[in-house]
Amino acid sequence: MSQITVWVVDDDPIYQIIVNKLISKSELFLNVSSFKNGKDAIDEFKKRLDENESLPSIILLDINMPIMDGWEFMDEIVMLKSQIKERIQIYIVSSSIAIEDKTKASQYPEIISYLVKPLNNDDLKSIIANY
Amino acid sequence: MSGIKTIDTTKYYLQFSKIDPNSNKEKFFLPIRKAIYKNHQISTVIPDGNWKLYLIEKTKANTYSDLYLPSALGFLLSLLFGAIITIVLDRPKRLQQLLAIQEKKLLNSEMKFKTIFDQAPVGIALVKNDTGDLVEVNKKFCEITGYTVEEIKSKSYQSITHPRDLANESAITEFVNEEKDGYTLKKRYTTKDGKKVWANLIVSSLYDANENLNTNITIIEDITLQKKIQDELRESEKQFKSLFKNSPIPLWEVDLSKVKKHLNELQLINKDSSFVSDYLNEHPETVNKCFSLIKIVAVNYKCLQMLKVKSKELLENNLKQMFDEVTVKDFKNQLLGITQNNNHLSYDSVIKNSDGEFIDIFFRWNPIKGHEKFMDRIIISTEDITFRKKDEKIILASQQKLESLINAIDGIVWECNIDTFSFNFVSKKVEEILGYTSEEWLSDPNFWLDHIHPEDRAWASDYCIAKTRENSNHDFEYRMICKNGAVIWMRDMVNIVSRNGKPVSLHGIMIDITKSKNIENDLNNSFNLVTKQNERLLNFSYIISHNLRSHTSNIASIVSLIESAENENEKNELMLLLVSVSKLLNETMAHLNEVINIRTNVSLVIEPLNLNEYIANAMKIFSKEILSKEISVINLIPQNLIINYNPAYLDSILYNLISNVIRFSHPERESIIRFEWIVKKNKNILQISDNGIGLDLKKYGSKIFGLYKTFTNNKLSRGVGLFMTKNQIEAMGGTITIESEAGQGTTFKIEIL
Repeated sequence: MSQITVWVVDDDPIYQIIVNKLISKSELFLNVSSFKNGKDAIDEFKKRLDENESLPSIILLDINMPIMDGWEFMDEIVMLKSQIKERIQIYIVSSSIAIEDKTKASQYPEIISYLVKPLNNDDLKSIIANY
Repeated sequence: MSGIKTIDTTKYYLQFSKIDPNSNKEKFFLPIRKAIYKNHQISTVIPDGNWKLYLIEKTKANTYSDLYLPSALGFLLSLLFGAIITIVLDRPKRLQQLLAIQEKKLLNSEMKFKTIFDQAPVGIALVKNDTGDLVEVNKKFCEITGYTVEEIKSKSYQSITHPRDLANESAITEFVNEEKDGYTLKKRYTTKDGKKVWANLIVSSLYDANENLNTNITIIEDITLQKKIQDELRESEKQFKSLFKNSPIPLWEVDLSKVKKHLNELQLINKDSSFVSDYLNEHPETVNKCFSLIKIVAVNYKCLQMLKVKSKELLENNLKQMFDEVTVKDFKNQLLGITQNNNHLSYDSVIKNSDGEFIDIFFRWNPIKGHEKFMDRIIISTEDITFRKKDEKIILASQQKLESLINAIDGIVWECNIDTFSFNFVSKKVEEILGYTSEEWLSDPNFWLDHIHPEDRAWASDYCIAKTRENSNHDFEYRMICKNGAVIWMRDMVNIVSRNGKPVSLHGIMIDITKSKNIENDLNNSFNLVTKQNERLLNFSYIISHNLRSHTSNIASIVSLIESAENENEKNELMLLLVSVSKLLNETMAHLNEVINIRTNVSLVIEPLNLNEYIANAMKIFSKEILSKEISVINLIPQNLIINYNPAYLDSILYNLISNVIRFSHPERESIIRFEWIVKKNKNILQISDNGIGLDLKKYGSKIFGLYKTFTNNKLSRGVGLFMTKNQIEAMGGTITIESEAGQGTTFKIEIL
């Protein structure tokens, strides 16, 4: 059984450090990749899709990012959906508590859940368990 | 022919007579029209049997008559001498004997006589006394009765006399027979074609030698027309009487001839009306005298009823009591009318009845035709108009009430022509609202359109025309210019007035809504202000929700990691992380302070500033970057251009926009920054453009001025500058727009009030 791959898409470098620390401490032996905006992530995603390489199992997606935000990233994913064979679980992880954002997230069937920062160990565990 | 035609019948007429042998009286056989003036007639006695022939002048005026008459008569005589009687009359025997002697002599003249007999302007007939047979008739008789001579000779007078008159005639005839005298009679003949002809008959009886009544000579004059006129006259008099008596309008017939006579004696007739008027005012005794000279000929029942008087006599006795101030005034006018020969007077007046109550009347005064000169028959009508007057008063009162009501309405009530928009009514309120009087408005057919604000005129007119065409009432608002030049807002509520389903005019009311319009504008302004502040608040809440939370959540995470740190090393590492988060948090707090500090222009200091100076100062701050990136500056702002602005905001705006230009300059080409001042449609625009990397507005357009919106991975982007700039510009009452294309460059346009 292959290792579970987690992509963290967020422009906050401190958050990236924290998530990495949390995962390494959780001893869940996950493979973590970091992307500082939606554009970097989707480029990598498309590249892997083209070269038939393994796709991430779980994506932790921020909403507010420069160049390409979380929603734009989602729109790209929806367009690629037919080509994706693997099961990909996407979580929104944002510091926004705005109702509009939560409502918008619920309109994407691909989004499993909307999580509000800070992300803690328990959240991480249940995400993995759910997988 | 006979020569009788040569006598001018307009001046003369023929008469002949005979001395009745029994009575020795002269008998005339043609109707006597006039008293015969002795000096203007000529007569000649025909010796064979007491006949006398007259030629009579109709008027006395002809001065040549003395010469002409004898000669004319002589001429006649030469033609007729002794001829007539033999043929016309069955004479007494001794006449016949004399005639026999002269028969041959007369035979020649017979035809001529016949002609004269026939030419007579009256009908002549010889009637047998016993049978009534018509023995001889002349042409005129035939004309009157419509029969030919032959036909008539086979008839008796009874057969052509109207049956009704026959009885009368026989009665008279019998009477006459006893008296042995002639008679005259008016009776009707039935003509051949059944018509009735009225005739005046002069019947003379002729006796034979034995003094037996033998033949009647009848002279007939057609008086049908005369009779008809008489009948009509009688009928019209009857009708008049009946009308007068039964008229529903009180009528008087009065005789003012004495009044007129008196005025004539005073030499007031035909005098200048103002002279007469003065005279009457100065001589009340004359007026009184005249009043007493009025003679009431008749009054009708309605008149007595109106005046509550029992009889005409009582009225005559009480006439004085009706004479009071008002009546005197009217009576003076009547007297004036008489002196001016003004025969038709009519006016509203009052009259007092026997109870002393005043009655409103319409007085009308007309002389009967033919009595204008002497004024002896005047018909006066005094129509009771109490109800009409009462109704008039009610109508007048309600009109006044309506008018005062309309004028009390706090708006301009109006009515206008549906096609031309020319007004025919504008209520008095217009003076209070616009300063113009209703008269000024109404005298100018284009007043309404001409006084609408030039910016509203075209559409207001078009709107009104369009709505009127579709026959719908409408309600619209536009500005009008007052007399003093002030602009006011009007709300105009228009109704279409239709008659028989066809629109005929427009009416409505204009209300001054300037106050509420101002309030509306104030409301709109404050609404815009609130909307902007709300936007800022939303952004602010966004900052709270996202940016502050992102820091606090990081702090929370780091703290929990420190707690579970396995060694000092790890702990120190996390502590350093915490410090950097705390620094970012501080920075964010500072930005928030800046945002909060941007207030609306209410409390902002505004000063006249030299725009170029401020641009130069901002460029100085970036002189290092400009040099290193080799950015060329093109400044097209007029040299001493002064703008009214808050100095700190202007510094901040220029700093942020210039720093953007430098940050996003294109790495592969020489950078240019251009400053321009554009005046367009009363708007001043500061335009700052570059040829930098640009931005895809389709993607980022809505977010570009939001807080913490960054669109590149440039580490210097903080997502604060444009947000601050926009807020500062709007706080000064202006706007900022962006035009940009990825890879081409960006232009910011700043509106400066």
